[in-house]
Amino acid sequence: MYKVGIPRSLAYFVYLPLWKTFITELGHEVVESPPTSRDILDRGVKEAVNDACIPIKLYHGHAAHLAGQCDLLFCPRLVSVRKHGDFGSETFCPKFLGLPDMVRLGLKDLPPLLDTRIDLKPFGSGNWEVARDIGQRLGNSMARCRRALRLGMAAQRSFRSLCQQGMLADAALEAVFNGVEPTRQTGTKQDITIAVVGYPYAIYDPYINAGLIKILQQQGVKIVTQDMLSERELNRQNRKLPKTLFWYFSNRAVYGGLHFMSEGQADGLIHVTAFACGPDSMVDRLLEIEAKRHGTPYLPIAVDEHTGEAGVRTRVEAFLDMLRYQRRRR
Amino acid sequence: MIKAYLGVDVGSVSTNLVVLNEQGELLAAKYLRTNGRPIQTVQEGIQKLGSEIASQIKIVGCGTTGSARYLSSMIVGADIVKNEITAHAIAACHEFENVHTIIEIGGQDSKIIILRDGVVTDFAMNTVCAAGTGSFLDQQASRLCIPIEDFGGYAAKSTNPVRIAGRCAVFAESDMIHKQQLGYNLEDIVAGLCEALVRNYMNNVGKGKEILAPVIFQGGVAANFGLVQAFNKYLGFDVVVPRHHAVMGAIGAAYLAREAVGMKGRSSFKGFDLEKIDFKTTSFECKGCSNACEVVQFFENKNLVARWGDRCGKWELQVS
Repeated sequence: MYKVGIPRSLAYFVYLPLWKTFITELGHEVVESPPTSRDILDRGVKEAVNDACIPIKLYHGHAAHLAGQCDLLFCPRLVSVRKHGDFGSETFCPKFLGLPDMVRLGLKDLPPLLDTRIDLKPFGSGNWEVARDIGQRLGNSMARCRRALRLGMAAQRSFRSLCQQGMLADAALEAVFNGVEPTRQTGTKQDITIAVVGYPYAIYDPYINAGLIKILQQQGVKIVTQDMLSERELNRQNRKLPKTLFWYFSNRAVYGGLHFMSEGQADGLIHVTAFACGPDSMVDRLLEIEAKRHGTPYLPIAVDEHTGEAGVRTRVEAFLDMLRYQRRRR
Repeated sequence: MIKAYLGVDVGSVSTNLVVLNEQGELLAAKYLRTNGRPIQTVQEGIQKLGSEIASQIKIVGCGTTGSARYLSSMIVGADIVKNEITAHAIAACHEFENVHTIIEIGGQDSKIIILRDGVVTDFAMNTVCAAGTGSFLDQQASRLCIPIEDFGGYAAKSTNPVRIAGRCAVFAESDMIHKQQLGYNLEDIVAGLCEALVRNYMNNVGKGKEILAPVIFQGGVAANFGLVQAFNKYLGFDVVVPRHHAVMGAIGAAYLAREAVGMKGRSSFKGFDLEKIDFKTTSFECKGCSNACEVVQFFENKNLVARWGDRCGKWELQVS
């Protein structure tokens, strides 16, 4: 039995149910790093290469935190999960492709990495090749892998379905693993719906986005994100663009924004973007142009390691005031 | 006794207070330097206002805005706390009909607000970079030994502004030094700096915004004629600088207070005798988790009335 560490960053917020369940069902123990703290961020900023984006630095911090607590670090090379895009060539952002190498070279005293290549483009949506590779490395039988994968996929499906019922991904993860009553977004009366799009690791990590989601909820906002939409709803947006982007998460963010704007389901659109993110220089501009075309109020929130709550709060309050004044006028 | 409304705008560089009457006319205004001591500055400002006009008026509503809006709301007893974007927009809309664009440049931030039919439709603020804001101008003026008040005068005398890189304050400064060592005269360098700041503002804050006249230019920096001139030149038409440009945020807060009290009934304003109350803040580092939040405690006459600064909400205490 191995202890397998999973850093709480990047793909964590999207694929945890699948891989955590899979590894647990193979009879191993999963150790997750704690939610991002100043400590973890500082450590990541110190260890990672200087020109990496904040999420990648953060990942280094989480990985460093797990060193010494696990026998293996789960750090797959995420290449692609589907055949999509103009040439069927959609991948993850280049930093995901090089992540295991970056982590291995950047951090000392790390346990060996479970750096299985996840490249599903040629296989449709099957995760079997990946599961078999991980299972082999962990010394499990094929039969056990098959069963564990089945359970992992089931966990992933229930996670996706909770998200699609309107739960935020972090709450849905809670619900899947800790059996917490699936609380939908409630609380104070919600008079405004805002679509928050961007990368899952920017939206669902409250430390890095300076509490954006909490601030919105305190102000009586109902939040919808791209992760609450089904693949079909998202992919339908594809034909509205002259050309798709190259990157998986970027396409999801843009499709999500387009969906909420064209369906008129959101009063405003917020794009959470991480400082020094290359793909976001395209995503942000695309969303800005589309928001103008749709007449949807648009607020980009750029976060970096120095982002204070005050700056985010001022912008969000002003944005909500604007929406409420506009509504009152109508 | 005239019914009046108090607006307080505590920013990084200046603290502004205004008193408006029911009709929105300005009865008194104070423009003070915050000097890193927001609590004392607000107390001092209220005190000064009080000695001028307390005998003739009764404050029936009070609003605060600016980056220290929550802190100052607790000092004065505000009826409404609003972000500075909304406050500036409200003020401009009351002063001018049919405003389409507001350019606001303050001590450490700059913003653009786009309005159509009296409603804000878009806005942007500068990001972490403070190039092109009041603080940078202050710093350059003192380096050149020009009183900041005369800065605009120098720019106005220029006949041939030199080109200065305005992308970043650090580069702008080294570029200015370079030009000055080559022998360009001061007037042209100052005017060049103003134009560089306007270019920077338009490329960052104003990027992608539809800037239509009338454009209102407000904030402390609007006092600088050099920048007004540079904006006029860049836009190809004249920007409008309101009479009370430096205190527009506070005016907006006062208008918002009038609205808020209308719904709420009565004001929480503590009165002009604030100097008798002892306000104090202390802070400590929470040891609860590795976030090590710095929690601020706010005391009024030795009573703890509020606490903030923690990310998890464990210490949060808001007595209003």
